[in-house]
Amino acid sequence: MVCKKCKHEIGPTELKCPHCGADNEFAQKHLQNMNKFEGGFEKTEKEVIKSAKKTEGLAKRAIILVSIIAACIVLVIIDSLCYKDFDDDKRKNEMSDEEYVADAKDLLKQGEYMDFAIKYSTASLDLSSDEWNDLKHVRYVANDYGSCIRYMERMILRSTDPDYFDALDYDIESFCRNLDGFYEVLNVQKEAEKNEEYLTYIEDMDSEIRAAMKTYFSMDDAALEDFLSLSEAQKGVKVEEVLRHE
Amino acid sequence: MNKAIRVILDILIVVASLAFLIFLVVVTNSIKYARSQKEEDPVENTMSSFEYELEHKSYGEIVDDYHSKRLGDFEAPEGMEDLYRVADYAHTAFMSRVYEAKGDAEKIASNATKLKEQREQLGSYQYAADEVDEIIKSAP
Repeated sequence: MVCKKCKHEIGPTELKCPHCGADNEFAQKHLQNMNKFEGGFEKTEKEVIKSAKKTEGLAKRAIILVSIIAACIVLVIIDSLCYKDFDDDKRKNEMSDEEYVADAKDLLKQGEYMDFAIKYSTASLDLSSDEWNDLKHVRYVANDYGSCIRYMERMILRSTDPDYFDALDYDIESFCRNLDGFYEVLNVQKEAEKNEEYLTYIEDMDSEIRAAMKTYFSMDDAALEDFLSLSEAQKGVKVEEVLRHE
Repeated sequence: MNKAIRVILDILIVVASLAFLIFLVVVTNSIKYARSQKEEDPVENTMSSFEYELEHKSYGEIVDDYHSKRLGDFEAPEGMEDLYRVADYAHTAFMSRVYEAKGDAEKIASNATKLKEQREQLGSYQYAADEVDEIIKSAP
């Protein structure tokens, strides 16, 4: 570039002309700009560092947390795969929904309530038809009927071998709990059941439970009514007296 | 603000780590269980329990096992036919006195026929039917 005063060649960074000593406006302006930009740069640099310090470690923590959660999800999936075979209902695809309903009604007609309870009272066989839905009250009662009969069978057909594990106390307790449950469910479902035929099955299950208690606990009608009015614990004591011949 | 987020994240990491450790223990046990199920023969296990219960005349346990098994396999799986036959007989015998007390003539007749047929199918387990009859007759 050329000096405006003496017209000699001068460098762009020379603040004054080395020949005449005149000010080099371009170089001075450039220096001012550079100083200004340097100040801005330092300010920005400080702000960036300050901001980085504020968020330091957040991303790292977030990555660790997401990784642990992902690992937990993988473990849950592995765990569910270990029990996959046991969760599947083997019956689901054996018959159509209509055939299941027909079979269930057939068992009820034959008075095979235990088979009905075993096959159809569990929730694992989830069919979707109105006819199946209509059977729900009978199924609820049958579920508790099945439990009562099972515990009575366990008690009556128990081993009397002194070397064998005696589970009678547990069975009595479970029976009394299930018996109270049976009558609670029975009363609710009887009220709710509108189908006369299904109501007959519900009442029939009640008759069988009563007949089983009268037979295997040596009770007449009056003694049975007294027994049913007792609390769960009192029932347990009474059954134990009968079965242990105390 | 950022400090609070950092503290919350630290707490979440600790909680997630604990959950991970718990899941790890659970999954380890599940894998062990699944392996043992593959190694063990369920039929052999069930039938050895059945023979033991039979030896001690614990027909209540036998019938209860039978009802539990029928929740999954309504018909007897291969190798478990004897358990199903003996338990079926015990259940029918138990119900026969119930029907008698109920006074249901139709069920009494059909149950008697069923009982007879089931007894004939018992083969070498006929003695079990005799023992069940004796228990039912003398109960309570």
